[in-house]
Amino acid sequence: MQFSPNEQQRQIIESLQTLLSRHAGRERALQFARTPGYDHELDAALGQAGFLDISQASETGGLDAALAGFETARTAAVTCFTASALVSPNVTGHVSDLRVALAEAPVTQPIRLGGYCEMLLVLNDDEALTLDTTPDDWTTVDTNRAGFPLARLRPGAITRARSLGPGSGARLRDWWRVEIAVQAAGLMKGALDLTVDFLRDRRQFGRPIGSFQAVQHRLGRLAVMVEGARWLAFEAAYRDARPDLAATAAAFAAGGADTMFRECHQLHGAIGFTRDFPLHVWSIRLLQLQQELGGVSRHRRDAAQLTFLNPEVLAAAVTPAV
Amino acid sequence: MEFDWTDEDAAYRAELRAYIRKMLPKGWRGYDQTDRPAYKTAARAFAQGMAEHGWLTQNWPKEYGGAECSAWRQAILGEELTPIGEPRGSQYMNVNWIGPAIMRFGTEEQKLNHLRRIAAGDVFWCQGFSEPDAGSDLASLRTRAVRDGDDYVVNGSKIWTSHVGIADFCILLVRTGEPDSRARGITVLIVPMGQPGFTTRHINSLAGDESHYELFFDEMRIPVSARLGEENQGWEVVRWALAYERVGSTQYQRAAVQLAEAAEIAIANGKFDDPEIQSRFGEAWAACQAARLLTLKVYDLREAGSPPTADSNLSRLISTDCLKMVAQLSADVLGLEALDRKGPGIDPIRNASMAVASGTSEIQLDRIAIDFLGLPRSK
Ligand SMILES: Cc1cc2nc3c(=O)[nH]c(=O)nc-3n(C[C@H](O)[C@H](O)[C@H](O)COP(=O)(O)OP(=O)(O)OC[C@H]3O[C@@H](n4cnc5c(N)ncnc54)[C@H](O)[C@@H]3O)c2cc1C
Repeated sequence: MQFSPNEQQRQIIESLQTLLSRHAGRERALQFARTPGYDHELDAALGQAGFLDISQASETGGLDAALAGFETARTAAVTCFTASALVSPNVTGHVSDLRVALAEAPVTQPIRLGGYCEMLLVLNDDEALTLDTTPDDWTTVDTNRAGFPLARLRPGAITRARSLGPGSGARLRDWWRVEIAVQAAGLMKGALDLTVDFLRDRRQFGRPIGSFQAVQHRLGRLAVMVEGARWLAFEAAYRDARPDLAATAAAFAAGGADTMFRECHQLHGAIGFTRDFPLHVWSIRLLQLQQELGGVSRHRRDAAQLTFLNPEVLAAAVTPAV
Repeated sequence: MEFDWTDEDAAYRAELRAYIRKMLPKGWRGYDQTDRPAYKTAARAFAQGMAEHGWLTQNWPKEYGGAECSAWRQAILGEELTPIGEPRGSQYMNVNWIGPAIMRFGTEEQKLNHLRRIAAGDVFWCQGFSEPDAGSDLASLRTRAVRDGDDYVVNGSKIWTSHVGIADFCILLVRTGEPDSRARGITVLIVPMGQPGFTTRHINSLAGDESHYELFFDEMRIPVSARLGEENQGWEVVRWALAYERVGSTQYQRAAVQLAEAAEIAIANGKFDDPEIQSRFGEAWAACQAARLLTLKVYDLREAGSPPTADSNLSRLISTDCLKMVAQLSADVLGLEALDRKGPGIDPIRNASMAVASGTSEIQLDRIAIDFLGLPRSK
């Protein structure tokens, strides 16, 4: 049991943070909100620095990818990085530099970053499907230039999809859940950091708003949510997306996303609703993420079933009664 | 970063479980605290048995009766013993923070006197911190100790003190500085129970029979050699103590075990099939697991020799939230039957009281806001 990163993980986090400080951040997030697009420059930098192969680079690859995913999500970068580097290799069994997006059959819902991906991984019951896509396969969804860019797959495109075989669906579901948890934790951390910074600066009644206890206590609860989400996501990644842990991590992270959205906006006052203030980039993504893969209630019910109906999982997790 | 227990730690846990099964009758859920002599005898026997195996204070240095194992051994102890009703009785406090505080702040004589006895499972302590007018605002405490030759003379009172009925010693906070000296004028004394001028009164509490007492000090004399740490430096001891106290009794695991019991009932009576109830089980389970990781993180910091951080406040807040969430869910699964004290329900009062004990949730939130998030102080 060790919570601090090992030497290699520390290096990964540090070099990634340096890279992100150059290629991502609040200004850049706003820039992409003003002029929608995909951050190819960031992707190129991530690829060049070897981050796309991260999940295969060591024994703790899944966790390393989750740590890297958390850092990128935190900056609200417009990249498929978490799906490409965390989910895809663990589902297909190999690393590629394709931009990956995730969907659930019958693929009628808008897809996060769909219009920019080159490969779509589709959850179809107990099978995972892969579909190579081009921009022509997609129609853009009008999101009012807020949150993740969304796109719809054109009807018919799905017929080209190939199955990865029976059983691959579970793997996709579990790693997608870890990805949701990692993304949500990173986005929550980014939104909370923004909010704390804002409340330290912004003064009313002659003092920083962040010094009012009514406000402090609300932020304290958000901090617990972010920290809990982060560690659950890391543990699930470390354990190779074990089904119960993946569902539990997604349940906690997605379960907190709407609270984080509401609280951060409320505590910003009017400025939080403006396009020139970056909060919306983080906050709306959280709401979008919350709806993926059946939403919070499904994560929670699966977490409950996978734990309480599984004697082995339960016996390992709780002290037996005397 | 890794989330595995070592093989040795896992083996230790298995041995501990076997010992519990051997020592306690089937279906045991905690001592009957109203029969205090019997309670004390049984809790002591359990702890002494653990000590014989070298399990009670494994993470302590050898010279004080430990085996120099990692702090993780203590986390395992808490995970295994807190949820089933704490068969060590109040001795869990000794191992968690009273011993470590003596190790850190005590004189050689105090270490010699107390640490071996704690490691042997012989002694019970209680914690005289809170006062009628000093609860959350502990630094305003007024119980006064005045130096008179080689003694302190103590006057005042404490309240809400737990485990007094079986205690041998009290770790007592007193004011030695000016009345308004707050945290700068507090001293810690180690007081044997039954010291002349020291009387106690039981408070009838819904939170548990040994939960609450009052302590009265009327011209009690106690030698200066009973002081733990320097005069007026007691706040530093308190800070250490509370950070360790908060994680020492693993409330997240208590919540998780209670949740598993409630789930078993819900599965049997069909309520688990209700999607809303099932979803709430998932929600509560996820919260318990987050609480587990946030608490283990505190052990990790402790193992690394870090001074207390606000991580212990995060751990306490979410763990006690879990206890409340789980009690409510248990009630929704059982209906009014949940309130049958002989039944399988989870006592909502006891669970709720944990969010007041050891610093209320509001005080935890204050610390998180200021120490963890770096928000400006309110004054
Ligand atoms: C089961 C149990 C066991 C205990 N065991 C012990 C023990 O062994 N030894 C011991 O010394 N004490 C013990 N206590 C006492 C415990 O430490 C105190 O109850 C606790 O610190 C709160 O103090 P109080 O009860 O005086 O509440 P108060 O401080 O009067 O608080 C009442 C309410 O006001 C809120 N409040 C207070 N100040 C603020 C503020 N600044 N901002 C916002 N809200 C605030 C509190 O959070 C609480 O909700 C125990 C308590 C319980 C419930």
